Amino acid sequence: MAGFLKTEAGKGLALSAPASLYVGLLVAGPLGILVAYSFWTQTYVDIDKTLTWANYIEAASDPLVRHLMLRSIAIAGAVTLATVALAYPIAYFIAFRTQKKTLWLLLITIPFWSSYLLRVFSWKLILGFNGVMNSALLTTGVIDEPLTFLLYNEFAVVLTLAHAWAPFAILPIYVSLQKVDRALLEAATDLGCSKLERFLRVTLPLTIPGIIAASLIIFIPTVGDYVTPSLVGGSQGKMIANLIQVQFGPANNWPLGATLSLVAMASVGFVAILFVVTTTALGRRIR
Amino acid sequence: MNDQNIIEISKVEKRFGTFTAVSDFSLDLKEGEFFSLLGPSGCGKTTALRMIAGFQDHDAGTICIGGQEMADIPANKRPTNMVFQSYAIFPHLNVGDNVAFGLRKLGLSRAEIKTRVADALDMVELGGLQSRKADELSGGQRQRVALARALVMRPKVLLLDEPLSALDKNLRETMQLEMRRLQQRLGITFVMVTHDQYEAMTMSDRIGVMFAGKLEQVDKPEVIYARPCNRQVASFIGGMNFLNARMTGDGGGRMDVDVQGFGALTIDVNPNVRIHGTDLLVGIRPEQLEIGADRPEGYDGYLQGTVSDVAFYGESVHYYVQAPGTDDPIAVAVPNYFHTVDHKRGDTVWLGVQNASIIDLGARESQK
Amino acid sequence: MKIVTRFPWLLVYAIAYLIFLYAPVLLLPLFSFNDGTIVAFPMKGFTLKWYAGLSGQETLLQAMVNSLIVGLVTATVATSLGLFAARAYVRYQFKGREVSEGLVMLPLVIPGIIVASSMLVLFLSMGLKPSLTTVILGHVFLALPFAVSIMKSAFDDFDQSLEEAAFDLGESVIGTFRRVTLPIVAPGIIASLLVTFTVSFDEFVLAFFLSGNQPTLPVYIWSQIRFPAKLPNTLALGSLLLLASVVLLLTAEYFRRRSTKSA
Repeated sequence: MAGFLKTEAGKGLALSAPASLYVGLLVAGPLGILVAYSFWTQTYVDIDKTLTWANYIEAASDPLVRHLMLRSIAIAGAVTLATVALAYPIAYFIAFRTQKKTLWLLLITIPFWSSYLLRVFSWKLILGFNGVMNSALLTTGVIDEPLTFLLYNEFAVVLTLAHAWAPFAILPIYVSLQKVDRALLEAATDLGCSKLERFLRVTLPLTIPGIIAASLIIFIPTVGDYVTPSLVGGSQGKMIANLIQVQFGPANNWPLGATLSLVAMASVGFVAILFVVTTTALGRRIR
Repeated sequence: MNDQNIIEISKVEKRFGTFTAVSDFSLDLKEGEFFSLLGPSGCGKTTALRMIAGFQDHDAGTICIGGQEMADIPANKRPTNMVFQSYAIFPHLNVGDNVAFGLRKLGLSRAEIKTRVADALDMVELGGLQSRKADELSGGQRQRVALARALVMRPKVLLLDEPLSALDKNLRETMQLEMRRLQQRLGITFVMVTHDQYEAMTMSDRIGVMFAGKLEQVDKPEVIYARPCNRQVASFIGGMNFLNARMTGDGGGRMDVDVQGFGALTIDVNPNVRIHGTDLLVGIRPEQLEIGADRPEGYDGYLQGTVSDVAFYGESVHYYVQAPGTDDPIAVAVPNYFHTVDHKRGDTVWLGVQNASIIDLGARESQK
Repeated sequence: MKIVTRFPWLLVYAIAYLIFLYAPVLLLPLFSFNDGTIVAFPMKGFTLKWYAGLSGQETLLQAMVNSLIVGLVTATVATSLGLFAARAYVRYQFKGREVSEGLVMLPLVIPGIIVASSMLVLFLSMGLKPSLTTVILGHVFLALPFAVSIMKSAFDDFDQSLEEAAFDLGESVIGTFRRVTLPIVAPGIIASLLVTFTVSFDEFVLAFFLSGNQPTLPVYIWSQIRFPAKLPNTLALGSLLLLASVVLLLTAEYFRRRSTKSA
């Protein structure tokens, strides 16, 4: 053993073990217990530990679960699309059109170190019936009555989340753009490409890994977001996380909550894999 | 090669802020010529090449390719193609798609593209490797793909930016010969940038030697070697001993000179020299000096000195001889015919030189 | 060649985007000075009373103390774990390195609600009551990817031959680490401490599930958000937190940059 610890592999394993064990245990432990709970049932005061598929059957048959799950995925998809689409030009600008890269990167990250909760809350204040947006538009005379379609719907959720996740889209895309060898762009021009063709045939396909990373890092946590739908979603904008929280909180049905968590994770994983496979395949078709 | 000019560059200048990268650059290139721009790094040779390609605009002067002024023609519309120093192989495409990259723009049929890609790959001896991925290629293969990708476009001029500098020595020498053969077969004008004098000499029809943004001398390799126009060019190409000399008389393309250490000699006036004078600088190639323990017979000038250093190069042995009346030791290169090193440090030796081996490099004050 | 000055569309877009990013964040401090309880235009007048009203609130102060404790412990533990792991990833080749590197990044991509709910279930079934301890356990989990990536970039720029030189000059393994490695990666360590502290200090969902009756600051704010009358106080508190975060982050950035430059 002492001999092993003197080797490269031994030192590496020993040094990295605490961190990976910590994360490993805190992933495996909760996951295991969730799986266990999902096969148990909640009686009024206690947990019935007879193994049963009942929770899964309930999750599969309840239209509310299906509805919230699909809506969560749709909203997360819309957020991902909007965030990545809005972020790409910024990342491009920082990578190719400015000398002050670090300043811009800093400017973009600063707002996101303020409290997430308060940022989401701030959107509620902006979009509300008596909120900043409406009062500003009323005062300036653009509108005569407050707009009601701003808050408490899917739009508000998408907008708020697109704001919240902006740097997580910008940074990976920026990194992948930064890695693009400038000689490749010149080679494309040399072989007859216009600027647009060069972007579509060289830059874009080379940054697909960045786009995938950005999309996953936004999509996965967004599906399970709790704060945003709670604050700005209203009843139209509720998502699966709200239902899960209800099971672990007020409804006190942990087995169902555990089942919903697992189903949510599986759905997210499935959609994520589907996304990676199709995007990669699409990228390969560009020649 | 024919006498038609394919490229005509006149008085081109390029500045980056206050730094002048290229100035008063004029050059005519013939159709089918292999031309090299040779110079140390930072001399402006790559900038000059990139101005021809259209990646860099110029501040003054004109560049014409095939009789057409290029000022308003962007890089993607110019009849030139480039082999990049890093080869710039698209990592997301395989070999075939890399070579087909520019062809897809031309509205050719699929079959036509396929044939032309296959032909281009055959030409660089990579036939059948179409589906090989970019990251599975060796350095030499990448260089060949870059070459095929540019040549498949059938450019009027192929531009090469240090195309062999990333390869190891043996491969580099093979590729030098191969590229030269390819160029002669296709008859396309090649313009190559290099800092390697041997590469420039072995491959080119003509060489342009650049220093500090200026084209110092443009000529055939053998002329540049035999009649360099000044000390800078002479020292960049091949080895050279520099000696001070005084002109004592001249006439009929020859002049009588008194060369430091060697005494009175009669040498040819160098037609490439721009500034002549009485106080001269002359050069002698190390391999054109004779060395012996005894005074060798049949030479025009002699010098006696002491061996200060011996360097063994394998194919030749270099002796450095310190002699009275000269500043630096004089280098002598002797082919290693008999696998012997004949002189040791401290030996007293004789050097002999022919009149024809002394190169007139012009007035001494004009050189640094 | 003609110099064509085109309209800088991208720059204009970038500036518009910055406004979109900053508007909601700057709204809080703006209205925290507003002499009125409704957040709407036109603004009423300037006041500092909402800030003054923050002092002397017992629950707020307790929540603040809780958050500081959680943040400091989280930062220390996560940075230590990250320091060793990052060193292993950058310096050594070993079986399972890639698996391990991927594993420690996992917390970034698990939906927060799932982490929170499953940890709650796990801790309760282990007999661990929701408390600051459970929050710390969860926050270290969330902060670890940040610590590892910051420490990795610090070690990335570290020239290994410096350590070999120290060895060569007769220093021991521990002595080399203390006298050569540590001083050079110190700016990275500080950056990691500051970032992981901020991550913990701002985290809500996990703390919401795991803090029990010891609320952290975000949990406290969550309880205040529902009451319109308390809104201006919340804005004032939020603005102070914002200021603190920005100062911390700029300090972290300063050290991070020093760590990349010094190597």
